Formats: sequence, structure tokens, C-alpha cells
Amino acid sequence: MASVSSEIFIGIDVGSVTTKMVVLDADNLEMVDSVYIRTSGNPLISLRIAMKRLAGTSPRPTVRAAATTGSGRNLAARLINTSIIKNEITTHTLAAVKTMKEVRTILEIGGQDSKIIIVKDGMARDFAMNTVCAAGTGSFLDQQSSRLGIKVEDMGEIALSSDNPAPISGRCTVFAETDMIHKQQIGIPMNDIIAGLCRSLVRNYLNSVARGKLITAPVLFQGGVAANKGIVREFEEQTGHKCHVSPYYGVAGAYGAALLASMVEGKREEFRGFEMLDGNYRIDSFVCKKCEERCSVLRLYRDGKPVSFWNDRCGIYSTGRSAH
Amino acid sequence: MKVTFPNLGSMYIFCKAIAETAGIPYVLPRPTSIHTREIGEYSTNESTCLPLKIILGNFVEALEDGADTIVMIGSGPPCRLGMYDRIIKIVLRDMGYDFRWLTIPGIFNLQAFLQNHEEARILRKELSPSNYARFPVAIITGWKKMLWCEHLEKVAAIMRATAFNPDEVDSILAKGLNAIDTADGIRSCASAGSKAVEAIRSVKKSGKAPLKVVMVGEVYTVMEPCINMDVERRLGHLGVIVERSSYFSMNILRGARVSRKVLRERKRLLELVKGYLQYDVGAECNFSVAEAVQAIKRGYDGVVHVYPFSCMPETNAAAVLSAVGNDFNFPILPLVIDRQDMELRIDTMLEAYVDIMRWRKDGRFL
Repeated sequence: MASVSSEIFIGIDVGSVTTKMVVLDADNLEMVDSVYIRTSGNPLISLRIAMKRLAGTSPRPTVRAAATTGSGRNLAARLINTSIIKNEITTHTLAAVKTMKEVRTILEIGGQDSKIIIVKDGMARDFAMNTVCAAGTGSFLDQQSSRLGIKVEDMGEIALSSDNPAPISGRCTVFAETDMIHKQQIGIPMNDIIAGLCRSLVRNYLNSVARGKLITAPVLFQGGVAANKGIVREFEEQTGHKCHVSPYYGVAGAYGAALLASMVEGKREEFRGFEMLDGNYRIDSFVCKKCEERCSVLRLYRDGKPVSFWNDRCGIYSTGRSAH
Repeated sequence: MKVTFPNLGSMYIFCKAIAETAGIPYVLPRPTSIHTREIGEYSTNESTCLPLKIILGNFVEALEDGADTIVMIGSGPPCRLGMYDRIIKIVLRDMGYDFRWLTIPGIFNLQAFLQNHEEARILRKELSPSNYARFPVAIITGWKKMLWCEHLEKVAAIMRATAFNPDEVDSILAKGLNAIDTADGIRSCASAGSKAVEAIRSVKKSGKAPLKVVMVGEVYTVMEPCINMDVERRLGHLGVIVERSSYFSMNILRGARVSRKVLRERKRLLELVKGYLQYDVGAECNFSVAEAVQAIKRGYDGVVHVYPFSCMPETNAAAVLSAVGNDFNFPILPLVIDRQDMELRIDTMLEAYVDIMRWRKDGRFL
């Protein structure tokens, strides 16, 4: 890690597919470092890698405040001990407004969900998020690239090399895949298929996620999928607006969280993220049989001792109302 | 004869009070759990809406607990083409259960009367004169209990958003509902109710100004916390007062079409949506839109539209509501509910929506 000033703010975004961390200099709020790693189904380990990297600098920086976001935000907050927990929509907006002050529309496509955020006067005014359908998210691109034997990072370039995208059904990932295999089998070149996939993904996004929302320029594209130039090209073609890719697209959520950490006033909890490196953490679950609900309660162990409970609907464990 | 009825928020208190006072044996449906949902999901078509699956699961559990007569509220077209209650009946028969069925008409018209008459013919023979004699008192007791429950829930919705510790409100509410449920007779029910209301009103306040939203949408989804994933409570904990578009007593009054006041109110609401909907789409669609328009005009901070995935009338309403939102420059949050594992996503959306409302109201969200 490069030189880091002694006092920092950090933002951590534990997403479904990747875990991101952004480090801001506490004095001038410049981004001094960012981490982008795969969650690989285990936020505990990915968070630990991030902490290790942060602790690797000498002298070890002092964290003035930390904030978490992403679908694993509550777990991450528990592990590093912070009460600044914010949803991805707000943190993405904060990051976008900081990157591009006049932004009006934020397109965000991540691993498991995609969102559109309408911004006015520097704050979200309206948003939409995919609900019951995961078609058109990063993990589908991921899955298809590994099926086709290419790197997901190269997908954009391959798509750009096509002038004649194949029509791919984008309504549902299962059908899209069937369609892609069919196109493959009749001999359509791979770049056309991939370009077609990008096209259908964008069409699906605009039809389902952005349905009924007015897209006004300037448009800023964030989230891991913004790395895919084929998708960016399709967005520009289908919306008719220039689609700016945020320079921090991959870590935008974490960046927003770090900015939020710098904004929160009042008493802050002591940062305990570095303890993750020494302690031995483990999570297990058990089914509570106290009522019909049968919640799978999750239990966090530190060095063999249970320190935290969550995921119980009634709060009997998480608030410690009863002796466990 | 052992009667059972669906789980619908605190409605079981109403049904239980009637059955108990009239001396009719009953089986209380088990609280909705993951198991309940699984029964429903396993036995129905995948695209069926969540309320139908859950109610089916409730019935299966009740039948297994010894019930033999199901009392179900009927619904009009086009919700499942007006066959909502009958589909459940057919699925249960296919599953091999033996039971008797009684539909309480959702709308009291001739067709509903005839169906009800037919179904009730055998049941009536099993009731003794003493059951009949006690029936009027039973209805009044049930009705009073329900009104107290709903009043308590409304007070809780306000206090949860303003309380220093919202968990405290939840626990007083649960105790209060239980006290009303176990109260013997109208007078002790009133005292239990007013005691609980007072207890909730006296919790320590946070001093923060609450936001106020109205929750519109499909009736079951609005009323049953197990179906809407506790949206009302979740929002309450985020400092938002939730007003529901549907309460059980309200629905009965609407269906019965006896109260002039309610009828006038419904007519007035329909006037509000003239610019968007020219005819009745069915179920609660027009009213979802109307209540949203009314809330915007009355200066509410937000509108949450809840409906189950694949619900036809409310999917229409969602499309219209998005136009309403654009016209009034007012964000409306649509929540399509399908499965339990969506909790995280719902939290994210609700939190973001609260941030937006705060920003609109105070110019900051922290």
C-alpha cells in the first residue's frame, strides 16, 4: 500500500460478488487507496484481506470513522464495530455527486442487483431496483464468460469488435442462455453473441428496472459492470445520452460510504477492524425452536466464544433479552 | 364441527371472539411460518401469488390440527378471475383433505347470497338454537374487539416511529393484542384496549420528527405482516408512521355497502383517479391509485405500494402509479413481494426511500 496519511476514513462495501474498501485521507478527503476483491461467498475472509492490507502500512493508520454498505453491511459493521451503516442507494448517490456534481441519472449494475437513481440538487429523488428478477446483473455476465471460456474483463472489448450483434432474448437469464447456446450452435461468431448479450441486458434494464423513469443527462454509470465497454456502448445507443463511466465505478459504493463516514458528526465507536487479524472468527447457525417461526439464528464466534447473534425475527438473541 | 379461518393480521381475534361467544368449536390457525409458506409453495403453481400460497398453508395446518370447516372471505373479479377462494378449495380437495367450506362474500350481491346459502345449508343444521341465540352478541363482541385491535395498531404505528425504543412499542402491542383477545365480554375488552393504548402512548419519545407514509396495495399484502414482510414495522423502526389503506373493519364496511359514509368516501376516491383510470380495473387497483393521489395531495411524505408478484390488478396499479409519481414529481416506492429471502433487499429499498423522504423534507438525510 502506498503512503497513507496517519488519519483516515474508510468505507467498506460488502457486495454479493465483490468486497470493496476505500480509504480517504481524513484531512483533504482524497482517495488514497482502494481495494476490490471477490467476496467468494465468504465476507469474513474478504473483509479480513482488506483489513490486512490496511494494517500492512507502517505506521498503521488511525481510522477516524468507518462506514459500511452493500448487502453485507450489517455483518461488516458488526465485525469492524461501527454504527454508520448505509444502504447502497444512498452511498452510490454520494459517490456519484462527489465525482460529477451535476449528475442527474445514475445507472448502477452490480453483482446481484441493478438500480437506477434519479438525482436532483445533489441528492437522490427517486430510485428503482430490480426485484424478483436477476436478469441483467453482473453475476450473469460472469457466469456466461466462464461458460464461453473468456475472462469477464475482456467481454467489453470482444463486444465492441462486433458490428452485427445477434438478437438474444433478455427477459430471463435462463432463456438468454438457451438463446445464446442456440446461436452458438448455428455458427454465429462469439463476438456477435456477446455483443447481443450486452444489447439484451441493457434493453432488459431499461424495460424493467428503469421502467417509467425519465433518464436525463448527465448520466453516470457505476458498479462493476461499468467496466464492460460493450454495455456502455449499448446504453449510449439505447438512451441517446452520453454515458459517463465513473472513474471509481468499481468501488463507488465504498467511496460513498467513506464520504458518509467523514460527514457523520458526534461520538464514533472505536474502530476494531484490525482485531479481525488476530482473533479467530467463525459463524455458525442454529434453528431456534422457541416459536413456530423457526428462525435460523446466526452466531458469531470470536476465539471460540459467541460474541454476537443476529437474524432472529423477535430479537430474543440479538438484543440479549434472554440468557442464551 | 370445528371451524377455522385464514390468518390475516389481527383478524383472528375477531373470528375467535365470534366463535367463542356463539359457542362454536374452532381451531385457531397457527401463526404463519416458513413451514406454512413451504406448504403453499409446494402445492400451487409457481406463478400463483404469495397471499394465496400462505392462506393455503394456513388451512392445511389448521386441517391437520383437527379443523373440518373452513370459513373464507370471498373476493370479486378479476383477482384470480374472482376464483381466489375457490382455487384454494379445489387445491385442498386435490390434496386429499376432507372439509366443508363456507365463503363469506366479499361483496354482498345476489350471486354471493346464493352461493353462501348453498354452502351454509348443511352447516346450519349443526348449529343449535343456543348458537343462534348467542350470535348477535357474538358479532358485536367480535366487532368491538376488532375495532380495539385496529385502534391499538394505529396508535402503535404512530408511537413506533416516535419512540426512543421502538422494540418497546412492539412488545406492548403484542401484549395488548393478547389482552384484547383474552378479554371476556365487551366491557373488559374495552378496558384491556384502553389500558394498552395508554401504555403505548406513555413510552419514552425520541424527540425526532417522524415521517408519514400511506401503504396502499393488495388487501392481504397490506394487512398481513407475514405476507408484506413486516413493512409497517420496519418503516416504523426507521421513524416512519405508516397508515394502511386497508383495515379489516374497513373492508367489511366497504363490502357490506350499508354505510352511506363509506360509500360516499369510495365514490370520492374514485373521482380522484378520473385522469388516470376510466373504468374499474378490479380488486383494489383503482383505490390504490386513488389513495396514493390523495396522500400526495394531503402532504404525506411518501407512498409505499405493496403487492404480490404476479398480482394482476396491482401490477396495473403500479404502472399507473409510476405515471402519478412523474406527474406530481413525487417518488412512490413499489414493493413487489414474493419470497422470504427478499428481506435484505426490502430493507435496502426502505432505508433508501426514507433517506429520500428526509432529504425532500429537511434538505438533509443524516
